[in-house]
Amino acid sequence: MKLPPQQVAVLEAASADEPRRIADLAAAIERPPETVTGAAFELEDAGLVDVIEETEEEVELTEEGREYAEAGLPEVRLYEAALDAGADDEPVSMGEVIGASGLENPQVDIALSNYARKGYGSIDSGDLSADPDADPSEDAEAVALETLAEGGTVEDDDALDQLARRDLVAVRERTVRSVLLTEAGVTELMAGVEAAEEVGQLTPDMLASGEWRDAEFADYNVEADAGEYTPGKTHVLRQASERVKEVLVGMGFQEMEGPHVDADFYINDCLFMPQDHPARNHWDRFALEQPEKIDELPEDLVERVERAHREGVGPDGDGYHSPWDEDFARALALRGHTTSLTARYLSGVAGEDVEAPARYFSVEKAYRNDTLDATHLLEFFQIEGWVMAEDLSVRDLMGTFQEFYSQFGITDIEFKPTYNPYTEPSFELFGRHPETGELIEIGNSGIFRPEMLEPLGVEADVMAWGLALERLLMLVTGFEDIRDVHGTLCDLDFLRDAEVVY
Amino acid sequence: MPVVDIDPDELRTLTGHTEKSDDELKDDLFGLGIEYEGETDDGEFKLEFEADRLDRLSVEGIARSLRYHYGDTRGVYVPDTNSAEWTINVEDVPDERPCVTGAVVRGVDLDEDALDSLIQLQEKLHATMGRKRAKGAIGIHDLAMLKGESISEEDGPAGRSITYTGIEPDGDTFVPLDDDAERTPAEVLTEHPTGEQYADLLENYDRYPAIYDDIGMFSFPPVINGRRTEVSTDSRELFVELTGTDQWTIDRMCAIICYALDARGATVEDVNVEYADTELVRPDFEVQTKQVPHERVETLLGIDLEPDEVVDLAERAGLDAEPEGGDELTYEVEIPPYRVDVLHPVDVVDDIGRAYGFNNLVPRYPDVGTIGGRTETSRLEAAARETLVGLGFEDLLNFNMTNEVDNFERMRIAPDTGQSPDGSGDTAVGAAEPATIDEPYSEDFTILRTWALPSLVSVLENNTHRSYPQDLAEIGFAAHVDDATETGVAERRTVAAVLARHDASYEDAKARLAALCEEFHVDLETPATEHPSFIDGRAASVVIDGEDVGVIGEVHPAVVVDHDVEVPVAGFEFALDALR
Repeated sequence: MKLPPQQVAVLEAASADEPRRIADLAAAIERPPETVTGAAFELEDAGLVDVIEETEEEVELTEEGREYAEAGLPEVRLYEAALDAGADDEPVSMGEVIGASGLENPQVDIALSNYARKGYGSIDSGDLSADPDADPSEDAEAVALETLAEGGTVEDDDALDQLARRDLVAVRERTVRSVLLTEAGVTELMAGVEAAEEVGQLTPDMLASGEWRDAEFADYNVEADAGEYTPGKTHVLRQASERVKEVLVGMGFQEMEGPHVDADFYINDCLFMPQDHPARNHWDRFALEQPEKIDELPEDLVERVERAHREGVGPDGDGYHSPWDEDFARALALRGHTTSLTARYLSGVAGEDVEAPARYFSVEKAYRNDTLDATHLLEFFQIEGWVMAEDLSVRDLMGTFQEFYSQFGITDIEFKPTYNPYTEPSFELFGRHPETGELIEIGNSGIFRPEMLEPLGVEADVMAWGLALERLLMLVTGFEDIRDVHGTLCDLDFLRDAEVVY
Repeated sequence: MPVVDIDPDELRTLTGHTEKSDDELKDDLFGLGIEYEGETDDGEFKLEFEADRLDRLSVEGIARSLRYHYGDTRGVYVPDTNSAEWTINVEDVPDERPCVTGAVVRGVDLDEDALDSLIQLQEKLHATMGRKRAKGAIGIHDLAMLKGESISEEDGPAGRSITYTGIEPDGDTFVPLDDDAERTPAEVLTEHPTGEQYADLLENYDRYPAIYDDIGMFSFPPVINGRRTEVSTDSRELFVELTGTDQWTIDRMCAIICYALDARGATVEDVNVEYADTELVRPDFEVQTKQVPHERVETLLGIDLEPDEVVDLAERAGLDAEPEGGDELTYEVEIPPYRVDVLHPVDVVDDIGRAYGFNNLVPRYPDVGTIGGRTETSRLEAAARETLVGLGFEDLLNFNMTNEVDNFERMRIAPDTGQSPDGSGDTAVGAAEPATIDEPYSEDFTILRTWALPSLVSVLENNTHRSYPQDLAEIGFAAHVDDATETGVAERRTVAAVLARHDASYEDAKARLAALCEEFHVDLETPATEHPSFIDGRAASVVIDGEDVGVIGEVHPAVVVDHDVEVPVAGFEFALDALR
């Protein structure tokens, strides 16, 4: 039969008459004891050997024990000092003997308490006498200590017990395994046992030659850690963006695209934002220096937008009582929201005429001069979406958002009426954090005002909402600092460790 | 959003609900959309609300809203006014600030709280509607300290007047508030703290606004009042004047002030405003009307309502609604003069919805079928990103804003010229003229990036303590100035990648670029080129389907070392559109 080489070696070294210890076998076949143990158990499984287990006591010196083995037991040292002082003739003062012995506490106490017990002499009111017949070389405890120190075995159980009581030795139990050939093992040995070749790496050659059929595969430690691998990975915010896009496309939304640098006209004026609105001042936005202004705006659209700002729309509409200047509207800036795309699509400037019913979205960057912190950067992804249909109501708006947010596990949306220059009614959306249960703002929504829609040429109702993708991601994944993931200060380890979003 | 400090005891007194606990008040306020943000040191509520309801900038306004909310008051209220004794003459005013309005208020009982509230209201109105006093500024004076010029009886009943006019910057002197020296307006702008604060407002004025009575100049709008007419808790009669750039705006601000004083039991008296060509009687308490179709109320809220329900809801919102018409039921809705936010009938519908309680509406999913889909660019970008990730790249996301140093200098190129600082090299990828940000807030963000490779090299720079290899890629935005486009900025999606590892080489980068191109079935050629960011002889143009769209190479050691990176870096960048 063919067996792995280590099993062959163990089988050949084992005896059918007398169990051989693993340690002996390991020494005999020059392999590590753990290899021999493993082989022995496999041979036992095959019925070729018996593995016999015995419990054995192992005695080991403690630190104190090793110290006394070298310097002598304290009571012996005391006795020897007493003899030198002549205490075998007449009692000597205890202090003198102790001083001569070189013993120090706590060894002094140990010496005194064992001195009389072991017959080295007696102590009487501060004087010490020595028994001239006592013989330290026959002190069973000292002998046992010396034997153990030399690696020998002590048969004197009383002495061992005494040493253990004095904490000079520690006694441990261990299992000792021995191997004994079975009859089947003997039979196989007689028939002849061959070592099979052991294989580390399976090679193409072995597959081609058929060599693998006779190969014995070395066991790996399959529980051991493998080397680190850094996989290619989609950025966590991009993953979140893909997820949102998938949900919106599933809900019937078409994607929008358009310029990051745009005229204020599309960013603000088309949204019925008055030109003297505080959010339009320099400090909230990124105005461009070069180029500074857009060349062309559609004349008729500009005229309609200006009229809405000045006069409002409808028979008894009111305008803003704010200045309006086309030149101001031409100024270029980084878009503060992607609602500029909505303005372009609704007005038809984006190239296609949008007719009701329609749903549109984008998940794209917007730019805002905000205070930088864990949740705010100068650039963020805005989820922008809108629905155009005849007669949309606040109930439709609520129903749409409930559906959208429920896709991300956020239910129980609350709608807080709010104010927004280009929507009426307007609502802030609040949702419960899936983990903390805290009520947090998760978006802004509303139905576009007639003063926005009429100049853009839209006759149906349009409801819209916006929200930062980062905020949704934080809600869904619980990650806390946007600065770790977005921008050149990102931490590669954080990105590598980030859990996938799905 | 505006925040006002309100004494809860005042709120209880003014609403007549002294039984309300602080917590009950907070809940009621939340119902109005007014959020409790905490307490001041004096135990006042800090209340935050939306910027449309500027009539709620004072305790009196909030108390009024609460009384409607409780149903204690219904419909439109307009205070009675006594006929005018005073006139504001408008003469030779600065062109930049042509408008003025005002009111006289008598029987005022100002304790410290009431005076604080009035001053706060004035400040909040300045900050909001007044656009930091540029559009409208309020001056409130102790009427007892004014000596009106007598008006002859030929012009009507006997009366007195003050004059709003314009003077040379050093044309007269007065003693401003918080001061004890006579100063000219020009001196106030440079020598008085309040003057310094508002000097910008008058930057382009040749002549400065001034208000006179019989004694002389007593106010320098929009900057500061004179000390003579300062209002104190002893003041019993007030003269309120407002100047600004828009008559409607200052008239609304004036109405809000008058309503607040009326709520404290004062009596409002008209003032004549005599412009050269017209005469106005102010304050303007005229009630505005809107025609609101019943059908629009129902479609916008998504519920069926009876006409008397609509009328009831309108009255609870502080409006009056009168049903009109037969087949097409419409309401004539009256809006009180302190409301500045009602521009269109939809604003009335919103008020009705709030009174109804939006949270009582049952959500429904709109029964409208549409087809969803993504743009081609978006799909292409996603596919290219997936391929890069399959090639082992870690996908990154960097800012689109950057600065000249990172984008150009540290990559050894210069904008537009394509020349490296030492003068060598041809036109280089990334070296286009950048779109620049006006008056940037931070020197880190002054331009839009013209290419993405510098962002990736910066990420390498900031992650030298992280394990290698660092194979990074980004598909993102890049832009440059281009007059031929609509906005003057050509925007594009760019694909950039770097391999940073102890054995990074041109070949590694090329192998991956080739694999990417192969996936998209486009033809890749890499003719040798020179680019200052890369090692000479180890750089090539990325030519896809015959078009030069980018660059590939081993990054120049000077760039690597300048970014404190200690391993070689190879990389490439090209336009995403080339993969179409």
